[in-house]
Amino acid sequence: MRNRNEEFFKMIKKLIEIVGQDNFTDQLEELVPYSYDASMNVYRPDAAVWPESTEQVLAIVKFANENKIPVTPRGAGTSLSGGVVPIKGGVIIDLSKMNKILEVSIENRYARVQAGVVCDDLNRELARHGFTFPPDPASSSVATIGGNVATNAGGIKGAKYGTTRDYVLGLQVVLPTGELMRTGSYTMKCVSGYDLAKLFIGAEGTLGVITEVTLKINPLPRHAMTAVATYARLEDAGKAIFQTMTSGVIPSVMEIMDKVTLQSIRENTDIALPDAEAMILTETDGFTWEEVEAQMEVVLGILKNNHPVEIKTARDEKDRLNLWKARKSAYATLARVSHSFVLDDVTVPISRIPELLVGIQGISQNYGIVVATFGHAGDGNLHPQILYNEYDPDQVERTHKVEKEIFHLAISLNGTLSGEHGIGISKANYMALEHNPVEMDLMRRIKKTLDPNNIMNPGKRALD
Amino acid sequence: MATQLQFDAKRRKAITQCSRCSFCRAVCPIFDLTKRPIANASGKMILLKELMEGKLPLTESVAQAFLRCTTCMNCTTNCPSGVDPQEMVKSMRKDMVGAGFNNLFKAMGETIEKYGNIYGETERHDWGRKKEKAPYTLFLGCVGTYREEESVQETLRLLDILKVDYTMVDEVCCSGVLEDVGYSIKEDLARRNIIEIQKTGAKTLITTCPYCYRVFKEHPSYKDLGLEVKHITQFLKDFDFKVKTDKKVTYHDPCDLGRHAGIYDEPREIIRKIAPNFVEPRRTRENAMCCGAGGGFRGAFAKESVRVARNRLSQIIEDTGAEILLTECPSCLHNFKNAKRQKQKIEIYNLTEFLAKLHQGKVSSTKEAA
Repeated sequence: MRNRNEEFFKMIKKLIEIVGQDNFTDQLEELVPYSYDASMNVYRPDAAVWPESTEQVLAIVKFANENKIPVTPRGAGTSLSGGVVPIKGGVIIDLSKMNKILEVSIENRYARVQAGVVCDDLNRELARHGFTFPPDPASSSVATIGGNVATNAGGIKGAKYGTTRDYVLGLQVVLPTGELMRTGSYTMKCVSGYDLAKLFIGAEGTLGVITEVTLKINPLPRHAMTAVATYARLEDAGKAIFQTMTSGVIPSVMEIMDKVTLQSIRENTDIALPDAEAMILTETDGFTWEEVEAQMEVVLGILKNNHPVEIKTARDEKDRLNLWKARKSAYATLARVSHSFVLDDVTVPISRIPELLVGIQGISQNYGIVVATFGHAGDGNLHPQILYNEYDPDQVERTHKVEKEIFHLAISLNGTLSGEHGIGISKANYMALEHNPVEMDLMRRIKKTLDPNNIMNPGKRALD
Repeated sequence: MATQLQFDAKRRKAITQCSRCSFCRAVCPIFDLTKRPIANASGKMILLKELMEGKLPLTESVAQAFLRCTTCMNCTTNCPSGVDPQEMVKSMRKDMVGAGFNNLFKAMGETIEKYGNIYGETERHDWGRKKEKAPYTLFLGCVGTYREEESVQETLRLLDILKVDYTMVDEVCCSGVLEDVGYSIKEDLARRNIIEIQKTGAKTLITTCPYCYRVFKEHPSYKDLGLEVKHITQFLKDFDFKVKTDKKVTYHDPCDLGRHAGIYDEPREIIRKIAPNFVEPRRTRENAMCCGAGGGFRGAFAKESVRVARNRLSQIIEDTGAEILLTECPSCLHNFKNAKRQKQKIEIYNLTEFLAKLHQGKVSSTKEAA
């Protein structure tokens, strides 16, 4: 934290002038929770504000830029990469109070919302009209749309429905220089000028504060069918996945859990699971039952052809939820069995999933650190959950090594460091693994052009 | 002499178990109102982590932060990592008092000791129901006795209509609430209650207050009570009420009755008998949002507590469009009545009060032929 000198008190005075006393804090105990997210990074901000309008955000950023004070925009703080942890201190701009759904235009298939709207709240409103915003991060009950855009959040249905990027039509952004920009359109198509909105999607708040988002919305699928298959050999599960994904049918869900995950669920819950190397959970969805069943028939054919130990299917809500139980309990079960964990999101081309899984298990054994892997096989996005004890320095060191090797492995398989969580602080040191010097240099030039004083969520993504 | 906060193995485990996923933001009534991370469970677990690691000094304002919790237990129910934050909050409040950070409930403890109730009231209404002996003893609790007397009158009237052979006692505060706000139950008051109740020869103690129910049922100070303890909804669930209403009725699960005591079905069984037009709020049963009265929050932050109730009430109205909101907890009832805006047409009653009113034709009903 910075010294409480004259400059600091000037900052406080100005911030209170902008947002009001009730929407400002510099109390230590209130700043402590803002020093964290769901990763292991910890840095203290100097103050936090809860703006209630774009005008207020504009005034805050303008002042911060003039006085070179770092600012970090923040939604629900569910990030797993340290993306919202203020490594350079400064002011947290918490957008939670900007949570109005401004417009739902069913006839034009879009919704316009403030950045602090919670995903599930938006989807509850859209469901009344039979529509949805499909990206469904596990944190959707609390995660904000602004945070979704800033991390390009995905979720379980990514293979069929894509990620947040595929739904953003337009953005309102407060630029680091204190100017307000509106970019994008209200239309389904638009090639007017550079696609600047895309630059801000997944930028983790390093290029500006997103204050308003216009999203394309989809009709809600009316029916869905679920199947679960277990495999004694990982290679068979891998084949079943890429054969399905290239069969002509795109399932709405194609999840995989490895044997460490399955074992942990079996040992720590009352969910009965076979002793297997991998479990696949898949769903097909659609407008009519005929469509759903026809797709599922193709998927089941492939699952069966690859020597499963067991296959179960379900179509009514209760039975479907039963099949989902193991997958839904994965994160919680693993969180309960370990002191601490790191949850990564490496992503590889779909056919390389078995290699990634086998490789992770090898790394885990080499270092004697438990890694349970599950995730979205349909789009190649896996979540190795590295279990360790944060108060055991030796385990901490080995965990860092495990993570480093997993990143190297993913890149060697033509994959990426992050499919949906972002780089933040945790993966910043590995950026050069994936991006060549020319690309890194361009990224830094873009950052410098937009944010000449480096005030906007500085110290992230190896951009400084 | 002030002591240090204790971080034994159990607490350390709970603190490291919190994965800071922040899913508790979705269910915390105070966060819902304030949007301040310190309000919700993960914020408080982070404070504890830093206290444990020696990074954060325990100050008056840190201790204050732990009073900002209604202990509604919604975070516990929805925690993927299996942490029970409200239990941590309650036990840390005790430790903080032990470490020299007394809070405003110290005075409440003294009031309870002196007056036998949380309000310092000196006059207690005589309900005219006292008998020497009866198979049932009814215990009202402080909030009903001193703040919701009209509702209590109707509840008593219902028991009369149903010809229940019950008595009442010169009750004093069960004093369990002190356990939740950093202090300890008053053993002498517990003993007084036990003696008074046992004198009636009753086999069953019926409580209208869900919190009193929990204290009589769970607290070691009442282990020698020797009576079966029932919440009034458990006691009444098999009765035939012979009245019906065609009004649209909804129900709010009190945290102490629902999440804390697991009593969800009994009130609903009663309501279904009398109100065919019953509709659940969106957030109900295990996921019901708190009214904001519990865990000392109303005592410490009265204004915010009413705002929490206002939030919950508006959500219920929006979800259900109900004409009648029922609950069975004097604290919830009291908070909702304080929160209700004039333009909101919904009527709010304890379930037992509503039943009595139906019988007397005080709300529109269709009486069944006897």
